[in-house]
Amino acid sequence: MNSIFTRVFSPSSQEKDLKRNYHELYKVLIGTMLFLTLIPVLITAFFSYQNYKNLLQVSEKAQLQSRLEGSTRVLTAMMDNILSVIDLLATENTYHAIKTEEGIANISKLIKKEYRYITDIGVINNLGVQQAYSGDYPLLGESYFGDNWFSNVLAKGLYISPVYLGHRNTPHFTIAVATNDKKTKSSWILRATINASNLKALLATIKTDASEDIFLVDNNNILQTSSVFFGPTFSIYTPENINKIQNKSYILATAKVPHTPWTLVMVEKNYFAEENWNNFTKTLICIFASCFIGSTIIAVLLAQAIVRRIQKTDALQVQLLQEAEHTDRLVSMGRLAAGVGHEINNPLAIINQKNGLAEDLLLLSDDFTYKQDILTILQSINNNVDRCKAITHRLLGFARRGDNKVEPVDVNYVIQEVLSFLENAIMYKKIDIQLSLELQNAKIMCNQTQLQQVFLNIINNSIDAVNPHDCIKIFSHIQAKVIDITIQDNGIGMSSEHITHLFEPFFTTKETGKGTGLGLSITYGLVKKMEGDIKVESEVGHGTTITITFPLYNN
Amino acid sequence: MKKNKTIRILIIDDEAEFAQTLCTRLQLRDYKSQIAISGHDGLDLLEKESFDVVILDLRMPDIDGIETLTIIKNKYPHTEVIILTGHASFKTGQQGMQGGAFDYLMKPVDLNILLEKIHDAYSKSHLND
Repeated sequence: MNSIFTRVFSPSSQEKDLKRNYHELYKVLIGTMLFLTLIPVLITAFFSYQNYKNLLQVSEKAQLQSRLEGSTRVLTAMMDNILSVIDLLATENTYHAIKTEEGIANISKLIKKEYRYITDIGVINNLGVQQAYSGDYPLLGESYFGDNWFSNVLAKGLYISPVYLGHRNTPHFTIAVATNDKKTKSSWILRATINASNLKALLATIKTDASEDIFLVDNNNILQTSSVFFGPTFSIYTPENINKIQNKSYILATAKVPHTPWTLVMVEKNYFAEENWNNFTKTLICIFASCFIGSTIIAVLLAQAIVRRIQKTDALQVQLLQEAEHTDRLVSMGRLAAGVGHEINNPLAIINQKNGLAEDLLLLSDDFTYKQDILTILQSINNNVDRCKAITHRLLGFARRGDNKVEPVDVNYVIQEVLSFLENAIMYKKIDIQLSLELQNAKIMCNQTQLQQVFLNIINNSIDAVNPHDCIKIFSHIQAKVIDITIQDNGIGMSSEHITHLFEPFFTTKETGKGTGLGLSITYGLVKKMEGDIKVESEVGHGTTITITFPLYNN
Repeated sequence: MKKNKTIRILIIDDEAEFAQTLCTRLQLRDYKSQIAISGHDGLDLLEKESFDVVILDLRMPDIDGIETLTIIKNKYPHTEVIILTGHASFKTGQQGMQGGAFDYLMKPVDLNILLEKIHDAYSKSHLND
């Protein structure tokens, strides 16, 4: 049940404003909490992402580089081997022995047995004419004079050429050794060629599982073998292309192959495409998502709790304020009423005396026509003065001499006494009075007559409110240092509008002349004077419950 | 009514109309009554004549009722004072009774009740006679 004040004061526009503020406060709280919790999470996630990315990048790069170096070593060793074998053959055999068909066939057989990538082998004299040839192309007698490789091998003695098309019109490269004939003292050249396709096959053998692409470029950035990403042999390998590849989740590493004109290029899928990275990003997203959900739930719950707490405090504050205002209003009205009472008493006393004097004089005078009528009129004036007097005297709560003694009074005794006063009315309406009183230590410090007046007013009102045969319950309850006395009826009840004015002087719902509207106003004043409190709960058609609380007398 | 003639009553009340009317009514009943419309006037009259009972208002412009009561009870302990006021309150009631008033009544008062009090007061003032 709500207290009188919560029922009385309907939500004002101020309360609606408060509600809107609560909603805003709620939003701000959630926002702030989410911001405070999620910003560190986001920062951590961002740095973890970046760090892990860098870490993976560095590690990937290092791994690729080490694999590339391994492959380069293999390739270098292979080229060195071929070169040294050719060098050995050129040194160990004479020009004349080797340039015969049989000689070249033997050497070719020998060399191809060991190095099956070698496409052909030939002997070239110092004029650049091919003297002997073992291979698939019709190159016997072909002149290489003026070719790049020819001048290079004559100048350097040992030479590995970049890939070129040459007379056979097929991409290939040359490994050649120039030697002086011991007899003629003139230079001759033993040359082996390897087709680019074979070179590609060779690279395939040193390719690792992780490699997406492996190819060779020469010093002029021309592709020596075909590449998955950069196109067929002789395509140009440009830095722009490299960037394009690197952005597309691949990484690339290069290493110069010693003793050759080549650079080995290896392309690998980078970490982005790898399971490791995917797992990491998934985990990161999961962690962030769960943080977000968790923070949101906590923020919402916390914000709700905080707003509820604030709302409760505010409501209490509003209630206290309203109670204080209400009490203050009642006190002022009481004072006002008392003032009015005082001011009216004096003129009323004059009317009273003048009226009395008129009566006196009439009684002393002889009979005349209207004497009796005038006496009746004066009596009527007197009666009405008495009515006014009753009102002003009640308004002032005037108690006669000896009645203002304050002493410990047994509440139960006073209730019983009041009920005995009202016995006739109770019997007349056949009202069932149900008493449930706490008998022990039910004493309060007050003036007995005033306490009688309090209960008389309230019980009288209850009797007026109930129908015949209805029931009025009166029960008392002692708790801590106070006693609660509750008078409950199942009568006609009151609207909240009526409850608001209940304790105001001259407020009455009774027919004109049947009630002065002072009873409960005086009751309220008396209860407050006894340092007590009075609360009303009522519903139209369901009855009224009035609870009076007094501090207990403590001897 | 023979007894009435022996009772001397002074009404001290700044409401002259009230005092005068009450005085007339008392005189009609053979009481020896007089009025004073201020505390000072009342005390002056008491200096000149003696009264058995004083009917005293509380709120007056010069000296208020409580003060007047104190002076009367000091100077004329045998004169009984009945306070009759429109501005009754517990506080003034208490002060009045403590100050030695015989009784404390609130305006408007029924003349018969007042007369009863006057007789009671008179009896008290002449208890030792």
